[in-house]
Amino acid sequence: MPLANTPTSVPVEVDEGKCIADKGCTVCVDVCPLDVLRISDLTGKAYMKYDECWYCMPCEADCPTDAVTVNIPYLLR
Amino acid sequence: MVFEPFEEESDFEELAERLDDPDPAIRRVAVLNLADTADPEAITLIARAISDSSPEVRLQAAIALGEFDGLEAAAALCEALQDGDSGVSRAAADSLAEIKDPHAGEPMLALTSHQDPKVREGALLGLKQLRRPDALANGIKAMNDPVPAVRIQAVGVVGYLKAEEALPALIAGCRDDEPEVRRTAVGALAFSKSAHAVEALVNATADDNWTVREIAAEVLGKQDSGTRASELMGLLEDPFWQVRVKAVRSLGKLRVSAAVDKIATQLDETVSNLRKEAAAALGEIADPAALPYLEKLVDDPDPDVRKNVRWALGQIG
Repeated sequence: MPLANTPTSVPVEVDEGKCIADKGCTVCVDVCPLDVLRISDLTGKAYMKYDECWYCMPCEADCPTDAVTVNIPYLLR
Repeated sequence: MVFEPFEEESDFEELAERLDDPDPAIRRVAVLNLADTADPEAITLIARAISDSSPEVRLQAAIALGEFDGLEAAAALCEALQDGDSGVSRAAADSLAEIKDPHAGEPMLALTSHQDPKVREGALLGLKQLRRPDALANGIKAMNDPVPAVRIQAVGVVGYLKAEEALPALIAGCRDDEPEVRRTAVGALAFSKSAHAVEALVNATADDNWTVREIAAEVLGKQDSGTRASELMGLLEDPFWQVRVKAVRSLGKLRVSAAVDKIATQLDETVSNLRKEAAAALGEIADPAALPYLEKLVDDPDPDVRKNVRWALGQIG
C-alpha cells in the first residue's frame, strides 16, 4: 500500500508571491517543451500540472521575476 | 482581476495601453509581449518603458531591446546604460553587445567619455563588434582609462578594427597593468606583420601571466616566419601545459625542423592533449628525425593521440 496517494512535491516550484501570471505573463508555460506547466484558474499563478520534467531549465532561466525554481534531483546534478 | 494571456501579439494599441497601467507587473508583461512580436515597430513602445518609474519594468525593457537592432534600440539602451539602478544598466550593456547594425553606434560613441565608468564600459562593449572605424580614436583614448574594466573593453574595440594606425596603442596595451588588457592586446597583434608587433609578441612570451604567454605563443605561429622559433622553443619549458600546447602548434605551423627534439619532449607528458598536438606538429614538420619518437606512441592509451601519431608517420612517409 502506498504511503501517499498524491505527490507532495514536484520538480518545478513557483513562488506565488513573485509570479505575475495573473497579470498576463505566460513565459514559463510557453517555453516548457513538455507543456507541463499551466496557469491556475483559481490563483492565476503558474504551477506544474504534470510531473514530467526534463530539467531543461528555460522556465527558471526565462522567468522575468525569478519566481520559478527547478529542483534537480541529486543524481542528475 | 486575472488577465487573460495576450493573444493578438500585433495589437500595439492594446499593448501601449498596458504600458500605462498603474500596476508595474502588467507594464512588465506588456514589454514581454512587445518583445515577443519581434516587430521593429515595437521598439518605440519598449523604448518608452526605459523611462518607466519601476526599475523592474526598465530592466525588462533593457533586456527586451537586446532582441532588436538599429539606431532607435541603441539610443534607448544608451539611456538605460545611465540608469541609476545597477541591474538596469548591466542589462542595457548586455543588450548593447547584441546590436549588430554599425549605424547604431552613434549614441555609444558619445558615451565613451561619460563620467561613470560603468557607462563607458557598456558603451565600449557595444561598439566592439560594430567595427566602426570612427570608434578607433575613442578606443585608443579609453585604453588609458584609470578603470581596468573600461580598458579591457577599449582594447577590444581597438583590436577588432585591425587597423595599422592602432599598432602603437596595441603595443602599449601589451604592457598594461591589467593581464586581460595585455592578453587582448597581444591577441589583436595577429593582423600585423610589422617588426614592432613581432617584438611585442616576443616580449609577451616572458609575461608574468600565463594566459598572455599562451596567446603570444599562438599569435607567433601566425607570423609567417620561423625567425622567432627560439622564443617559441623556450615556451616549451613553460610550467603551464596550456602555453606549451600553443607553442607546439605554432612550431608545427612554422615547420621548424630544429624544434623536433624539443617538441618530442612533450610526447612524454601526462596531459594527452599535449601529446596529441605534439604528434600533429611533428607531422606538419615532417622531419624523419621525429620517426623514433612517434613510433614509441603508436599504442598510446588515448585514441586521439594514436590517430595523430599515425597521421604524422604518414606525413613523414
